[in-house]
Amino acid sequence: MTDSESELRSSVRPRPAPVEAGGATPLRFGDDPYVWVSWLYYQEGMTQYDIAQTMGISRATVIAYLNEARERGIVKIAIEPARLASLTIAQSMRSHFSLRDCLVIPNGADDRALGDRLGAAGAMALRKVLKSGDTLAVTGGRTVMAVGDSLRVAGLQDVTVVQAIGGAIARNPASPSQCASAIASAVNATCVTLSAPAVASSVEARAIMVAEPLVAEQLSILMRANKALFGIASLRPNASLYSEGVFEAAELQSYIDGDAVGVLAARFIDAWGQPVAGVLDNRVIGLSLEDLLRVDLRICVAGGFDKVPAILAALRRGYANVLVTDAATARGVLRADGGVELDRRANDRQAVRDRGREPREYVKKFINEPDDVVEEMLDGAIRAHRAYIRPLAFSRRALVALDGPRQGKVGLVIGGGSGHEPCFLGYVGKGLADAVAVGNIFSTPPPDPIFQCVQAVSGGAGVLLVYGNYVGDVMNFDMAAELARDHGVETRSIMTTDDVASSPRENRDSRRGVAGNVFVFKVAGAACDKGWSLDACEGVARKANARTYTVGVALEPCSLPQTRRYNFEIGPEEIEIGMGIHGEPGVVRGELAPADEIVDKILDQIFSEMRPVSGDKVAVLVNSLGGTPLMELYILYRRVEQRLTAKGVEIDMSLVGHYCTSIDMVGASVSLLHLDRELHELLHHPCRTAFLQVG
Amino acid sequence: MVELLSHCLNRMFHNISASIEETKDHLSALDGVIGDADHGVTMSIGFQAVKAELSRRNVDAMAAEDLMNTAAMAFLNSVGASTGPLYATGMWRAAQALAGAADATPAIQAAIVKGIADGVRERGKGQRGDKTMLDAWIPAAEAGAAAVRRSESAEQMWREIIAAAEAGADATRSMVASKGRAARLGERALGHVDPGATSAVIILKAMALTFCGNAAGTAKSAERGTPRFRRAETHEEAGKGSRS
Repeated sequence: MTDSESELRSSVRPRPAPVEAGGATPLRFGDDPYVWVSWLYYQEGMTQYDIAQTMGISRATVIAYLNEARERGIVKIAIEPARLASLTIAQSMRSHFSLRDCLVIPNGADDRALGDRLGAAGAMALRKVLKSGDTLAVTGGRTVMAVGDSLRVAGLQDVTVVQAIGGAIARNPASPSQCASAIASAVNATCVTLSAPAVASSVEARAIMVAEPLVAEQLSILMRANKALFGIASLRPNASLYSEGVFEAAELQSYIDGDAVGVLAARFIDAWGQPVAGVLDNRVIGLSLEDLLRVDLRICVAGGFDKVPAILAALRRGYANVLVTDAATARGVLRADGGVELDRRANDRQAVRDRGREPREYVKKFINEPDDVVEEMLDGAIRAHRAYIRPLAFSRRALVALDGPRQGKVGLVIGGGSGHEPCFLGYVGKGLADAVAVGNIFSTPPPDPIFQCVQAVSGGAGVLLVYGNYVGDVMNFDMAAELARDHGVETRSIMTTDDVASSPRENRDSRRGVAGNVFVFKVAGAACDKGWSLDACEGVARKANARTYTVGVALEPCSLPQTRRYNFEIGPEEIEIGMGIHGEPGVVRGELAPADEIVDKILDQIFSEMRPVSGDKVAVLVNSLGGTPLMELYILYRRVEQRLTAKGVEIDMSLVGHYCTSIDMVGASVSLLHLDRELHELLHHPCRTAFLQVG
Repeated sequence: MVELLSHCLNRMFHNISASIEETKDHLSALDGVIGDADHGVTMSIGFQAVKAELSRRNVDAMAAEDLMNTAAMAFLNSVGASTGPLYATGMWRAAQALAGAADATPAIQAAIVKGIADGVRERGKGQRGDKTMLDAWIPAAEAGAAAVRRSESAEQMWREIIAAAEAGADATRSMVASKGRAARLGERALGHVDPGATSAVIILKAMALTFCGNAAGTAKSAERGTPRFRRAETHEEAGKGSRS
């Protein structure tokens, strides 16, 4: 509710006294009875009868007014979009995979873990379908356990819950037997567990166990199951499967090599749901996939991106005919199957065409030959900045500071792809980086120029390598570091990870490095210049990285010189939040909003991690991604400062401009470095480079 | 007379480069959906550099192993990015497999494929299912090894290699990336074929063209679903082979 709404509301309460004859309505509503009736009905929750009494009109008139209010648009009825979307997706899933039913929960609707929310939804589904006299087969797994945790059904008779596969080690809190007993007690059912392990140690052992009368009887009850509840496990690294103690890691690997994509009731399936043959053939005790297909109602509860291939596989073969999942996973499954086009991105171009505006084929650029762009750019930069940098040997791809490197000082080598200018060559000079390795457009430099830089700046005290955390950068810098080690130069590598939007907080190490790396370079360069040891330089650079937070927003895409086309599309009213500096799509798309709102969104995200308190000091960088002018950057900066001031946070240094770009992308990023005394000193240590001068 | 292996490899790199040039816009467009739209450009730069480096040398006088190592260095030093180290390491492994070899027998051809697959896997620390080029290279290497065990003709072997690679690349559509820049996209990458796996198929087809005229290179999945049957066959046969 907006402020004006709540004000309105509080002014109406307490409920107004019955309006005296004559029907004078409060001035606030003018003489519009439609608004008045609508307010009392929808906001005050009064009955039509009470409204009629209050206003001194007939109930029929109240109804007529309410209808009229809807038609005139005074009252708009809206379904919460997330819920509506999940409904649409559920329908698509149902028809696409011929499911009997599909329940899709919205994403991000509340803060509980996905597993718990799926469990609650699964419990809801089970409540609907479970009837007296049923025999329900239940597998293990955390999601199934979560169903048991939320399930309470009273009044059913003669229900049997039977463990669908054999047992797992005791320390697994969601073993098949524990799941079965949790579900059984939630519905007051008889529980039949299997007195055998899920995986027998050999084919012979399995044969002996299933022939045991006790186990044979349990299995015969299992074969009578008319309903089944199961989860699906992913084979991706970090999947819960690896810690459940049912399978050995080597067994899992052998199935991955055999093209398995998922596990369902302890059976491995390929991308088309077919069983994958392997080392566990004839060793699993419990419901087979063929047995499962004979069960009448098969409820699968599963969600999460990593499970998409596995869920898709299970749906393709029809192992589930009731699916409970979340909206993002369902959308992923549909997309992955290519059956339903839900991808807005692919439709953008078409949409633009439909509106009669042909997208321009080529972006205009000041270039000669597309293939010469990087070389000519470097040629120009070296000439323009000859006061600070010079190329090494015959290549322009390794540039070194004129008066940076010296004996006994730790060397600082930075580097990355072209297209981010002034990153990275603009930060080479005394007091900052000693050398830079330059790659192709948006491509990490190869090991050779990096190694040349290391050799050129090595002063016997070791060399620090600082670069953005991208797979390619890590590979090439690591290969260069190996070369350096072979030549007796000790190096330390620091990958910058300031992009808050690129990974959740718990995965900080996998975040990418963006504009905030300028702060890390600055701090590292100062520490090196002060003659600190390699350990100390490394330590303080890591601290600076850990305390730097960036969020970027793109308004328009960037275009590569070689293709002269935009490398993705953003809708006319859209913005991309969390856009990377290579035009990698961001994490979410939002609607274009006023600058202050965008800054607020960025800062809220940063503050939630940085947790600044009154009296703290920060350095601020408001950076253009290339196409956004200084005018707009100042507008953004203004709001950044307002927000920081309101928190009592002191701005110790502010940088506004083009610091780390993405060619011609329209957009900006905001970086904050959360300072302490040491970082403050290093930040203000003098440096002389083409694009950053301090002191 | 039999063509010298190094001569044959030189021709192979020319064919690969030509195929990449033809498809580089398509590859970049694929990459634009889930990455930074430069995959076609990167591959083009790399193989152009290989071609240029080899044209400066008397390849007929080079051992096959040296030629492959030379190609690896040229590719690495022109490309960087992640593709550089990955393919360079692949070519280094392939060079090891070529040590002492003189003829392009099917076994040697399969060993090149396997060498590349192994090198890429080692450098990228990845495996199948990661939505990367390995989803094409690993099945291709397996299909090659199985064909060699069955002493198949080069034509038959390459048909199976291409079929396996195409099926693998197609399967990336349903995968969520865990490596590379696409990994940060989560579910948004779903439904899109991985450009690295696509270019791997293009490279393999150019290799097929080099080693046996055309044949396998023309195997195309015209409609969705076709690859799965072909892949199932290949896989089953491969499975039999490995257990014999």
